Amino acid sequence: MPLEIEVEGLRKTFGRREVLKGLSFGLERGGFLSIFGPNGAGKTTTLRVLATLLTPGAGKVSVAGHDVREDPMPVRRTIGLISHNPMLYLDLTAQENLRFYGDMYGIEDRDARIDELLDRLELSHRRYDVVRTYSKGMRQRLAIARAILHRPRVLLLDEPHSGLDPRAVDILDGLLAEIRDEHTFVMVTHNIAKGLEWGSRLMIIENGRIAYEHAAGVDPDAFVAVYREHVQEGSVL
Amino acid sequence: MSGWRQFMAILRKDLIRELRTREMIISMILFVLLAMVIFHYAFAVKEDVDLTYFTGGMLWVTFIFAMLLGLNRSFAQEKDERCLDGLLLCPVDRVTIFFAKTAGNLIFLLIIQVVAVPVFTLFFVQRGYGADIVLFVVVLLLADMGICALGTLLATISMNTRSRDLLLPIIFLPLIVPLLIAATAATTTIFATGASFGATATRLLFLLGFDAVFMVAAYGTYDFAIGE
Repeated sequence: MPLEIEVEGLRKTFGRREVLKGLSFGLERGGFLSIFGPNGAGKTTTLRVLATLLTPGAGKVSVAGHDVREDPMPVRRTIGLISHNPMLYLDLTAQENLRFYGDMYGIEDRDARIDELLDRLELSHRRYDVVRTYSKGMRQRLAIARAILHRPRVLLLDEPHSGLDPRAVDILDGLLAEIRDEHTFVMVTHNIAKGLEWGSRLMIIENGRIAYEHAAGVDPDAFVAVYREHVQEGSVL
Repeated sequence: MSGWRQFMAILRKDLIRELRTREMIISMILFVLLAMVIFHYAFAVKEDVDLTYFTGGMLWVTFIFAMLLGLNRSFAQEKDERCLDGLLLCPVDRVTIFFAKTAGNLIFLLIIQVVAVPVFTLFFVQRGYGADIVLFVVVLLLADMGICALGTLLATISMNTRSRDLLLPIIFLPLIVPLLIAATAATTTIFATGASFGATATRLLFLLGFDAVFMVAAYGTYDFAIGE
């Protein structure tokens, strides 16, 4: 299976603080990597480098065969990012937001795709309401529509379950299940249950380094013990 | 074609948002009108005094400060809910973002001028300048393009700093002085004596050069300016 994501010796520094200290990993096409770790370990920074929102300080990072530093445009066409920040314009309606992103990605069947996604995410009845009037769960559902609107091959998920109501969690999980086989996923999460449920590979990042890496199938209790050992300092449990 | 579609998408989004909230336009129009009232009373030390020779300066100082108000707002909305990340995730040339943002700011400034210039003329200009209106519009457009190009570039640079409200005026005002001098001189000449294209050609060429310099500067640096 070809590698969809390749990271080699990734380093990133903010000011004097080295946040990533030489990460190396690969993820095959169709894989699902769950990344855990304490706050400030470098998980989100890693995701933002993969998303081309940050440039690597050193090392080589490629997504779908394209270097994120040298050739970011094809990477941006390939990825979708779902974060706990919805990245939606609150004073625009759902339809206006999706039309905007549809034009930005140059989607040919923009309106049909928007109809399909709004139906799928149960937001059709609120499509003409400004997003400011939406609940957190509804905004997150719309953020999912924004992220997959252009049919990305790779989905980057930054704490996607954070702050979601149970209905929105069900919809997100249902959607992930539907598209699981067609995509490659990298998910940063504090939610061990979700990370273990979805991940085909598990990784713990601690202090900018990979502290633990394992294929899926690990005993949940054993993983929790390892996780506790590594995140004790970060006190997230 | 894709670049044009992206340019129009960003511009349309900014216009819809502003027309819906009127956050920027209302505050800028109020500022401009209040500044004119204040100028009117501050300079009216003697009955029937002719303020025509001060008009160019008053007009452009007012527009520049009004634009400073608007520039901070135009990027604050992108920072809300991390919309800037959403924009930067798109496969869009960063220069397209610059030109779309500049065009949006230019439209807002022109809307303000459509309201403000007649009021300003009523308050301060004693000589009719109907014959020179085309020349005045050319001066307005050239100066506005420079203000918006430089302002958009610097607002982008300052948006990621903690003290962006302070930083933007500190870096914007010194750099806008050459444009202010040229626009003020051209406008005052038009209002005071009337002028042909020939008489204001140097000023117009300077404004054109100023616009070109900052458009090119933005073209070369915007990728870095809007990045990390």
